Amino acid sequence: MDPSIADTAKVQIRLSTREDGLEVPDDSRLLFAPTSLRRVDLSRLVNNLLHNDTPIPFEFLVNGQFLRTSIDEFLTQNGISAETTLNVEYTRAFIPSLHVSTF
Amino acid sequence: QTHISGTLPTPDAARALWLQHESSTHSLSQQLTEHLRLILAPTLATKLRGDFRTGKRLNLKRIIPYIASGYKRDKIWLRRSMPSKRNYQVLIALDDSKSMKESGASDLALKTLTLVTRSLAMLEVGEVSVVGFGDAVNVAHDFDKPFTSDAGVRVFEQFGFEAQKTNVRGVVERSLGLFEEARRKGSQGSEELWQLMLIVSDGICDSHAEIQRLVRRAQEERVMIVFVIVDATAGETVKTEVKTEETAESSGAGAGAGGEHGVVKTEDKKTSILDLQSVEISNEGKIVRWKYMERFPFRYYLVVRDVRELPGVLAGALRQWFGEIAGSA
Ligand SMILES: [Mg+2]
Repeated sequence: MDPSIADTAKVQIRLSTREDGLEVPDDSRLLFAPTSLRRVDLSRLVNNLLHNDTPIPFEFLVNGQFLRTSIDEFLTQNGISAETTLNVEYTRAFIPSLHVSTF
Repeated sequence: QTHISGTLPTPDAARALWLQHESSTHSLSQQLTEHLRLILAPTLATKLRGDFRTGKRLNLKRIIPYIASGYKRDKIWLRRSMPSKRNYQVLIALDDSKSMKESGASDLALKTLTLVTRSLAMLEVGEVSVVGFGDAVNVAHDFDKPFTSDAGVRVFEQFGFEAQKTNVRGVVERSLGLFEEARRKGSQGSEELWQLMLIVSDGICDSHAEIQRLVRRAQEERVMIVFVIVDATAGETVKTEVKTEETAESSGAGAGAGGEHGVVKTEDKKTSILDLQSVEISNEGKIVRWKYMERFPFRYYLVVRDVRELPGVLAGALRQWFGEIAGSA
């Protein structure tokens, strides 16, 4: 085990998208991910799964709500336990191109 | 108390479910009993061991030193050692967390529990304990009570699969404590005590590094741990209804396919734990991914999708363990 990776709280997430051509491969749709992740982390993760050289910024919908906090805070605010597999839908984020370079 | 009482099965429901599982797994428990009878019998006794002045067969490694010593080092014989009676303590830790219910693994887990406890009761090789774990650890059945059908019903009454956490680290630590206590109480004469822990769970847990440390401790304390992963979701096909809004985008090039809107869009396969990927972001901000099972912290584990597979695979794992112990003795 990689010693630089600490034991962190995790939750199962199932990724999906309605956008053609942006689906992650079948074998990486179900992930066990740290609950500390935020939108930017998830966006980098999806780009990593898509092997994108030029990252696309993504927004994330969990149970139909846009993720604006860490997953952990989202779970607490919505009374969901980390025992539940989260359905996470991603969609292209329309943000000014000025900010794209920070991804 | 780890449960919200409203979510636990009523005594009647628990009894009905226990009886149902007991009868549906009856022939499977007999199969397991036959396997275990062969494996748990004291096989070590049939091995030849050295070094004796008289015996059954010469130990060839001792011959040259024997001659070199002027026939003084004469412990050159092997003997069959006497079989000693073995006593077993089997602790079954059943995952009571909510993920079990959500993935549909709880039913298979209860069947597994029924099958194994009935089989051990038929064998009469020792004591059986059942603990439940979720956010806390609950001893549902103690070692010092016989595991009858009524005991099974009472165990079932204590599982609601509603716990909000899956504390595998906690249950291993607590169980090692229970085993230690049992060793202290039950150290009688020549009988050998063998301790086995079976964890029955969907296998989803964190704190893997801490668990690995405990698994090593268990090995040092001669407690064997077999992790039975109930993987009820594998291979099932689930239809997911995706509602597509009638938005402006469908009026363009997609108009021809417009007829598909509002119907089942994706046929989503439920994913097995064997396909689950772990994700971490390292301190340097790098995304690291690996197959969850590649770093599963338990050395002996089985993945069971159907209760009918259990007698064979469980026997296989135990046979391997006994083989290793006999080989190192
Ligand atoms: Mg769980």
